[in-house]
Amino acid sequence: MLIAILAPIIAVVAIIIILLLAGIGIYNSIISMRNRVDNAWSQIDVQLRKRYDLIPNLVETVKGYAAHERETLQKVIQARTMGIDAKTVEEQAKAENMITSTLKSLFAVAEQYPNLKADQHFSRLMEQLNGIESNIAYARQFYNDSVYQFNTKIQTFPGNIFAGWFKFMIRDYFEIEEPAAREPVKVQF
Amino acid sequence: MYENIASNRRRTAYIIAIFIIFIAAIGFAIGYYIDYRYGISSSYSILFMIFALMFAVFASFGSYYYSDKIVISMTGAVPLTREEDPRIFYMVEGLSIAAGIPMPKIYVMEEQGMNAFATGRNPQNGAIVLTRGLIRNLDDEELKGVIAHELSHIKNFDILLGTIIVILVGMVTIISNIFFRSFLFGGGRRSSSSKSPGGGLFGLIFLIIGLILIVLSPVVAMIIRFAISRQREFLADSNGALITRYPAGLANALKKISAYSEVRVANNATEHMFIASPFGKNTRVALSGLFRSHPPVEERIRRLEKMALGVGLKNDSEIKKEIS
Repeated sequence: MLIAILAPIIAVVAIIIILLLAGIGIYNSIISMRNRVDNAWSQIDVQLRKRYDLIPNLVETVKGYAAHERETLQKVIQARTMGIDAKTVEEQAKAENMITSTLKSLFAVAEQYPNLKADQHFSRLMEQLNGIESNIAYARQFYNDSVYQFNTKIQTFPGNIFAGWFKFMIRDYFEIEEPAAREPVKVQF
Repeated sequence: MYENIASNRRRTAYIIAIFIIFIAAIGFAIGYYIDYRYGISSSYSILFMIFALMFAVFASFGSYYYSDKIVISMTGAVPLTREEDPRIFYMVEGLSIAAGIPMPKIYVMEEQGMNAFATGRNPQNGAIVLTRGLIRNLDDEELKGVIAHELSHIKNFDILLGTIIVILVGMVTIISNIFFRSFLFGGGRRSSSSKSPGGGLFGLIFLIIGLILIVLSPVVAMIIRFAISRQREFLADSNGALITRYPAGLANALKKISAYSEVRVANNATEHMFIASPFGKNTRVALSGLFRSHPPVEERIRRLEKMALGVGLKNDSEIKKEIS
């Protein structure tokens, strides 16, 4: 008699406990993935700060040889300020693309000044900048990988249920523009 | 990925437990024999076992915290500074960012053969060791492939298990050597000159223990091979290729490395840590197959080539030209 009453109750309780444990596991894995995304973002941030610190130094050095290239120098400074003030991932990505392109035009300018190119301080700054740029690329790769995993987790079942309950939002990718790669190939006859 | 970390930690705990039990058993056996021979009560067996237990526990703790330093000093590697070789430094820095682990320390072994390994107890205390020959002969993409392979060993905690095994198994080997030699040289001579019963007795005990350990040493080697599955080399290859996004780099590197991967300071205990067998192709042929610690290079290259779909791969003659 007693067993007949208790058996369904025990079964239901057992199922609830199993579901609860599974839920805790899924919730924890989502949280650790989210933390990984945050950590990856701070890695990008570290590298970006390094670049921000380098730019004034670089601009001063270029100014010493090519003071009248004011417009180019101004653009680099502007892009840097934009990067520092950026709030969202999208803004940051936009500012970084600008910094990269303005730096490119700065180097194009530097090509015209042999004295500047021969400057040791300048070449050391260039070397550091190249190292930082490749680190930014690696940090972006890790960030985008982490975002991909997190977004997939909270968009697929059963993660999407938890995303609804706990208001997990998908994260933005840190995208770069490569205008040269996107333009259609021009064919001339 | 995370199952791998858990499994490596579990296996490390097993290995340490086996080591402690093994050493304690030796202590007990010595004490028991003394009690039996002289009929002193059973205090010696307990005493010896406690001593052996304490030794084993200290040795395990020591090997957990200092194993990486011991292994590095065993191979005679020296730290590499940023000024010395900024190229390698930037590569390791960038790739460890991409792998999402703290930057490991970098060491260089003054060896002509091309090889590399990683050590440490966790990613925070990781270190990678490259040979001089590797740095000289590989181009940037190939070096990145090798470094990324080692970084994924660090990330997976393969290094914890691998390094602990080197120390604990090395210690068992040394102990068995001590027992065996003390009979052959010390114990044997004393009994023949003075005819004292004690010397002969201890000599006999040491001989027996030494013989047991020698018989057990292939078993120990088996334990290494089972604990370190060859699967993890494939796993580190593919994880490394994911970090660099360029499987051909590692595939080309493996082709070059397989031509000349000998490392003089490597031994049976450290063999499994290297990216390619440090004994090269020619030696230990008898043990290959069954006891080989590394999967065949051809198979690893084939799997990487499948990932790369042939993009960026060099053919053998091109690589031979580059090495010479």
